Amino acid sequence: MKLIAGVDIGNSTTEVCIGDVSPETGVHFLASASVATTGTKGTLANIHGIKSALQQAVGKIGRGLHDIFLVRMNEAAPVIGDTAMETLTETVITDSSMIGHNPSTPAGAGQAVGELLSFEKLEQAGPDTPYILVVSDKYPYEQVAAAVNRISGRCKIEGIILQADEAVLVYNRLEKKIPIIDEVKLIDRVPEGQLAAIEVALPGQSIRMLSNPYGIATLLDFDAEETKNVTPIAKSLIGNRSAVVIKTPNGNIKENVLPAGEITLEAENSIKINLDEGAERIMEAVSGAGEIRDIIGQDNTNVGNMFHRIRQGMSSVSQVHHEEVRITDILAVDTLAPVKIAGALAGETCMEKAVGVAAMVKTQQLPMQQIAGKLREELGTEVVVAGVEAVMASLGAMTTPGTKLPLAILDMGGGSTDAAALDEAGQIRLTHQAGAGELVSMLIQTELGLADRHTAEQIKKYPLAKVESLFHMRMENGQMTFVDSSIDPRFYGRVVLLSENGLIRLEENIPMEKIVQVRREAKRKVFVTNAFRALKKVAPDKNLKNISNVVLVGGSAEDFEIPEMLMEEFANYRIVCGRGNIRGCEGPRNAVATGLVMSYVGEWK
Amino acid sequence: MIVNRPSIFVYTNDPDPDFLRQVCAGIEEEGVFWEIFPRQDSDLNTLAYDAARDSMLGSGIGISGVDVALQMQGVIKGRNVEQYHMPTYAQCRKIGANSARAIKKMAFK
Repeated sequence: MKLIAGVDIGNSTTEVCIGDVSPETGVHFLASASVATTGTKGTLANIHGIKSALQQAVGKIGRGLHDIFLVRMNEAAPVIGDTAMETLTETVITDSSMIGHNPSTPAGAGQAVGELLSFEKLEQAGPDTPYILVVSDKYPYEQVAAAVNRISGRCKIEGIILQADEAVLVYNRLEKKIPIIDEVKLIDRVPEGQLAAIEVALPGQSIRMLSNPYGIATLLDFDAEETKNVTPIAKSLIGNRSAVVIKTPNGNIKENVLPAGEITLEAENSIKINLDEGAERIMEAVSGAGEIRDIIGQDNTNVGNMFHRIRQGMSSVSQVHHEEVRITDILAVDTLAPVKIAGALAGETCMEKAVGVAAMVKTQQLPMQQIAGKLREELGTEVVVAGVEAVMASLGAMTTPGTKLPLAILDMGGGSTDAAALDEAGQIRLTHQAGAGELVSMLIQTELGLADRHTAEQIKKYPLAKVESLFHMRMENGQMTFVDSSIDPRFYGRVVLLSENGLIRLEENIPMEKIVQVRREAKRKVFVTNAFRALKKVAPDKNLKNISNVVLVGGSAEDFEIPEMLMEEFANYRIVCGRGNIRGCEGPRNAVATGLVMSYVGEWK
Repeated sequence: MIVNRPSIFVYTNDPDPDFLRQVCAGIEEEGVFWEIFPRQDSDLNTLAYDAARDSMLGSGIGISGVDVALQMQGVIKGRNVEQYHMPTYAQCRKIGANSARAIKKMAFK
């Protein structure tokens, strides 16, 4: 009896498989384990993770590390992926400012125009000028209401902007009813003495005047040129329940406008393409270019900066000088990104067209031999680097019940989507494509305007639900779930993620339907596109119909909806496609580690 | 026929007047009605539980001295949804707003 361990170091997890190999019975799988990879893939920091994974696996069968006869490691795929995003629309200069936000409880309805007047200067108000009163949260609602009631006989207060959440409280105490907007956090940035228009929508409606350029022009008396400049403000206010637009003549908001720029594919058929033409045209160019040597962005443009950032990131990971980094594949997808509006007083944004790009760089071989040597020293066991990752993954994937040769695998990881096709003769064809799980996270993050990547990753991983009462929640597929003991009130009325460790609350106030739509679109844009791209490259005669079986492996194959999406798409080509089930029990994980143990039997014979 | 306005019940026992005022302001800002009932019982959990049970909206607040608690119908007595001892004014507003949001099925503050 000989214990053989297969070790697969991935970008996010380190997988181990232990098998008992004997000449008579072949290989007999005993245990497996999976731990988070320590450090960057392909560095000595990985050793710690490998050891704890091995320890876990041998622990499961009641053995120690010294019982292992041989450790076999994979030759990791020498590719690194990175992502970036750039907006296509240019920044607009405007000479008005605005506050567009959705306080849950503004009060009154209608619009008002007047000169901005701070509460401190209320007594200095003239009798003929209409005013919009600006009140900081130092003043309680009783005082504000009383002061406005007292003065309303001799001067015109047309509307109020409050810092505190007290619009209804003030409104209920006013004798003459006027529109009130509250919860304006950055009240000190509201410029005094300027002309402003405020609008509060009727209940159940959204604002009409201030979300319309001509409406703003009517209220603030703009000419044609000013109206043109104010259009982005109007656009960004669409759908709000309340808004403030302030006229700031000769506003000196100047911004550096960058053209979106061109990318150059240096390839068999070199081609230049402008980013403005959108992701679809870029991808057509990429597939028509043949073997790509490098991809370059035009200097001093948005895309140039984007590629520069990718190169810098890559060079820091792969320790290659950034001049020598060669981008050999990109995946471009159309998306929407929030763009800051010039003149917004509270950092409001509007969604503009953007292109997200995942790029891939081939590096020189990762120093696996070095890791093997160090591991050999620490374990006192023979450690070898055996076999190419994709070959091992194919071998492992074949243990999925119901598969046969010729077989293709699609390894969907974090940084890249890899495909391999294995035919009856044992011939294998490989490809690495840019774009996988990380690009999906980035798309989710930007399209939903999330503050951090971690939330986006969680949205990618878990299905959603809305807690509708303390005793039930509605799942994203419409199903209702009731609970016995009341749900924690922190989740009440919120959209939550159903993780294996209970509910995760989303801090952002985004409707569940919107999140579902963005999440599914992001996955479709990246994985369906890439699956076709990759499989076309490895299919015999570049024809998808020559592949009969596709086994999905890797971290993203564990996703709760990606495999189904691909299955639907591939059904049109009469391809059997599904989530792998390595050794009939492991699911889509552990393919490479399993393949490493199996390949030992082959070498031995 | 006597028809009551649908309202949040606030059951009180010797309440701190400022706290009571701030709690009510919190409810008012959310645009929901409320009614205040002085009670004999001084136990905070009982006040909140009974208020939620008796309110036709199913949301109630108990204030006993300087203790404030929010309770909702169907939740076990003693497991108050939100509870403060010596709250700040902002916390009073918040508990009032949340009692209204519980009815409006909106996320708590």
